[in-house]
Amino acid sequence: MVIFYRRLPKFEYIKPESQNMLFEILSDNKNCSVYAGGTDLIPKLKKRLIKPPDVLIDLKGLNELDYIKIEGGTLKIGALSTIYSVATSKIVIEKFNILSQAAKSIAAFQIQNRGTIVGNICNAVPSADSAPALLVLNAKLNIKKKDGSRKVNIDEFFIGPNKTVLDKDEIVTEVEISEVPSSFKGIYYKLSTRGKMDLATVGVAVLLGSDNGRFSDIRIGLGAVAPTPIRAKRAEELLKGEKINKELINNAARIASDESSPIDDHRASATYRKIMVETLVKRAICRLTEVG
Amino acid sequence: MEEINIGDYSLLGKSIPRIDAYEKVTGEAKYAADIELPGMLWCKILRSPLPHAKILNIDISRAKRLTGVKAVCTAKDFKGFRWGWMPITRDEPPLAEDKVRFYGEGVAAVAAIDEETAEEALELIKVDYEELPGVFDPEEALKEGAPVVHDYRPNNISWEFHMDFGDVEKGFKEADLVREDRFATGRVITGFLEPPAAIALWNSSGITIWAAKQSPYFVYRHLAQCFNLPLNKIRVIQPFVGGGFGGTKNDSVAGDFCSVLFSKMTGRPVKFVYKMEEVFLTCRRRHNAIIYNKMGMKKDGTITAMQSRLIADGGAYTAIGPLTMYLTGCISTLPYKLPNFKHDAYRVFTNNPVGAAMRGHGVTHTRFAAEIQMDMMAEELGLDPMEIRLKNAIEAPYETINKVTIFSCGLKDGLLKLKEHPLWKERKKENKDKETISGVGISGVAYLGGARQRGYQSCAAVLRLCEDGTVEYLTGATDAGQGSDTVLTQIVAEELGLSIDHVDIQRVDTAYTPCDAGSYGSRVTALAGEAAMKAAKDLKRQLAEYAAKEWNVSSEDIVFKNNKVYPKHMPDKAIPFRKLAQIACYSGVGAVIIGRGYSQYGIEPYDFEKGIGNAGTAYSFTSQLTRVEVDKETGFTKCTDMIIAHDCGKPLNPGLVESQNQGASVQGLGQAIYEEFVMDRGRTLNANLADYKMPTAVDAPNIEVIHILTDDPKVPYGAKEASEGAIVSSPPSVISAIHDATGIWFKELPVTPEKIALALREKKKE
Repeated sequence: MVIFYRRLPKFEYIKPESQNMLFEILSDNKNCSVYAGGTDLIPKLKKRLIKPPDVLIDLKGLNELDYIKIEGGTLKIGALSTIYSVATSKIVIEKFNILSQAAKSIAAFQIQNRGTIVGNICNAVPSADSAPALLVLNAKLNIKKKDGSRKVNIDEFFIGPNKTVLDKDEIVTEVEISEVPSSFKGIYYKLSTRGKMDLATVGVAVLLGSDNGRFSDIRIGLGAVAPTPIRAKRAEELLKGEKINKELINNAARIASDESSPIDDHRASATYRKIMVETLVKRAICRLTEVG
Repeated sequence: MEEINIGDYSLLGKSIPRIDAYEKVTGEAKYAADIELPGMLWCKILRSPLPHAKILNIDISRAKRLTGVKAVCTAKDFKGFRWGWMPITRDEPPLAEDKVRFYGEGVAAVAAIDEETAEEALELIKVDYEELPGVFDPEEALKEGAPVVHDYRPNNISWEFHMDFGDVEKGFKEADLVREDRFATGRVITGFLEPPAAIALWNSSGITIWAAKQSPYFVYRHLAQCFNLPLNKIRVIQPFVGGGFGGTKNDSVAGDFCSVLFSKMTGRPVKFVYKMEEVFLTCRRRHNAIIYNKMGMKKDGTITAMQSRLIADGGAYTAIGPLTMYLTGCISTLPYKLPNFKHDAYRVFTNNPVGAAMRGHGVTHTRFAAEIQMDMMAEELGLDPMEIRLKNAIEAPYETINKVTIFSCGLKDGLLKLKEHPLWKERKKENKDKETISGVGISGVAYLGGARQRGYQSCAAVLRLCEDGTVEYLTGATDAGQGSDTVLTQIVAEELGLSIDHVDIQRVDTAYTPCDAGSYGSRVTALAGEAAMKAAKDLKRQLAEYAAKEWNVSSEDIVFKNNKVYPKHMPDKAIPFRKLAQIACYSGVGAVIIGRGYSQYGIEPYDFEKGIGNAGTAYSFTSQLTRVEVDKETGFTKCTDMIIAHDCGKPLNPGLVESQNQGASVQGLGQAIYEEFVMDRGRTLNANLADYKMPTAVDAPNIEVIHILTDDPKVPYGAKEASEGAIVSSPPSVISAIHDATGIWFKELPVTPEKIALALREKKKE
């Protein structure tokens, strides 16, 4: 049966006015969907790609979750911060630039102004642009429920396409990123068919620090090339502490490519994606280290 | 305001702002989806989840019982009605009858009090299918034993054309180099912003339908046939239209028939609006085609012969396909001298969505193959791609070997302009940095304007003079967004010596406007423009008689200019046009002044069977330079510049001609490097705007349009056609530019970053 729905399915809509109320509803054991920007959720509901929830909980009544702030060097992004506000935040641009690069690369201004960074993460598609950047920034996610809270490192958050460690009664209230040494440099490369307004066929984030011609730290995040966004840890290990040189970078890029496990789909072949991981990891590290 | 001197005119040749701009930018303009009527029902269509299957049973009982559902229909309710372009190809029912032939074909429909209820009701319809083996590749479909899509075409050949002129074998013998290549064009779609929508009302006056149509007189006839009503009981009212580009909006869709039927069943107005995914999956696409091309060339670049065998994926129904096939061959003999030409075109049924017309109709496939092959041969022979075009370019007057007659041709002028352009002259000097390589490509093409189909092809204008000197202008031509209303109004105002705001053009209402074939084949300015000119001259003639009486001079000596009227050489006697209108209207007990005109251009017959003669009234010539930057490793391609030397004859509104060229060349860029439906056994995997990659504004290059002025006697004021040429010239010039950058010839569209990256790696290995 093929039906082109233009209307939303039926569900109850609640806009909690307090976090207490929010967690109360979440703990009610109903089938709930949490709604912030809705840029992923609403099209999925319209297309009937997911089962409609009993209750759609609109977070937008909780203004206290809309913030970007620095506390003791740590960046804190609330669940309602839009992609655009993160992309253009002065603090983010100056101190966590790679996140700004990634956020800027997401879709169009309209989506950036509606969608949230936390939503981009919780939707958990392998190609989410903010994910590789947050991975290399070692972001932590503050997760809350009715009677408790926990902190999860972002590299433990994703468990599969559209799947995270979040329980039904939990939401991510905040992304937390510790201070990055000011000498660190980062690049997010997004490969897509079109120049803008496109989905990543491959996303590569590299953040590195160098000291006396050596890699003091290096972190490589990959998007759209595995069931979840991943870190290329073996490639990182190879480089860490080593002297910066072209051959080593080439080897690391090859290893990063080995660490990826892309699929063939209508956006690109696995073969192309694997080659592009190698190409872009190499390019990013060379660019950041100015190795020709 | 941009102005090009194309003659002694007050308005023509000037970039008059679009007359519909205010309504469109303020939102005052109403499109079909904006219209609502009291008591209106919503129509939704249930579609097939299988590409090829027998329909065993459709159970609509549960849907009918749902509260709010007013009617449900299936194919049975249309009593065997089928439509199609020619009487012998009427093979398409509004809803599938005994079997479905493509994924997403309509099988049943519902009318309900609101859209939610209609959608819910569709879920309650149960259809039992028996899946049949499908065929999804046109070359597979031609093989013995392939699944048969239509019983009336047991070999799956929906339509074929065979054209044979001169002696190609002799031509190939005379050649120093003969090449044979296989080319392929992609599965693409128009990309209009406004999906099909309509609101239909059936009452004692017959059918009234407000429908988003580019050519409303198609649905007008289809509805008359379907519901067995005389034409004067069919009223199609044209709202503003949000883009057409041929195909879907030049045809009827299932929603049109179902909403009319539902209105008949319920007595209430019925509306439908398609979703963009529905457009992508179920509406008309451009045919994708495989072209086996063989060309013979002498050492000096002279083309001696060309032979093409084209196999097009027609999808599940015929639609306008025969004309597409005709157009793939009939002007392959342009724009280069071709003494020997043979063309075999096969349109093949498959279980894919239906292939039909689209901007650059038919020509875009074969011209792409021929242009690229010509460049490949030039390269083999060590010839310059610019020189080889200049060498073979035709010059007017000219008659091709299949008797296409050319009275004006700006191809050589255009190529010479491009040859001197810095983009071409300095193309080899560029510094090539590490990551990206650049390249410049060229193409030269022709396209027909004022296209003619079979059957009743009238194109007329009626001008009604108001007593205050303003004019109401009725035309059957539709402005689907291209700006034709502005140009047609310019013509009427020019002839009457009025300012543009004194003439009010009406959108089509088949109850009042004269019948018109439609807005396709670049025919509006050429044919509706001629009708407008003649109607204005007719009105002027009538008015001139009243004026002549006043001044006691000959009516031929009355001048209409600047909203004034005066006897020739006596401008001091001028009276306002308004005054003359009053004199005329108030004569006797009151006169009715109506100007009439209809097109009579291009009425000599052409041989549709053999491909001989003029399918168009006049021909545009377009040559194009394109510059691209290609990332050597990722294959990511950015088109930076397009220079289009465009001979539309005389640009009546240069700004509109330029914007038409910009739109067409970017659309062509999409088909060259971005757009393609990815299919899996009849299912389209990327039927959405995120994954079907149309270029956006940021992907658009700098575009420079160079007007090449020619004077064609076959069209009004010498205006031929704008922009269908540029969608034909764009893909080969882009691909030629990618070759210039990479050294690789790509023969299958679209050339995506992945294809380029993988090919560059292969090349490096060699």
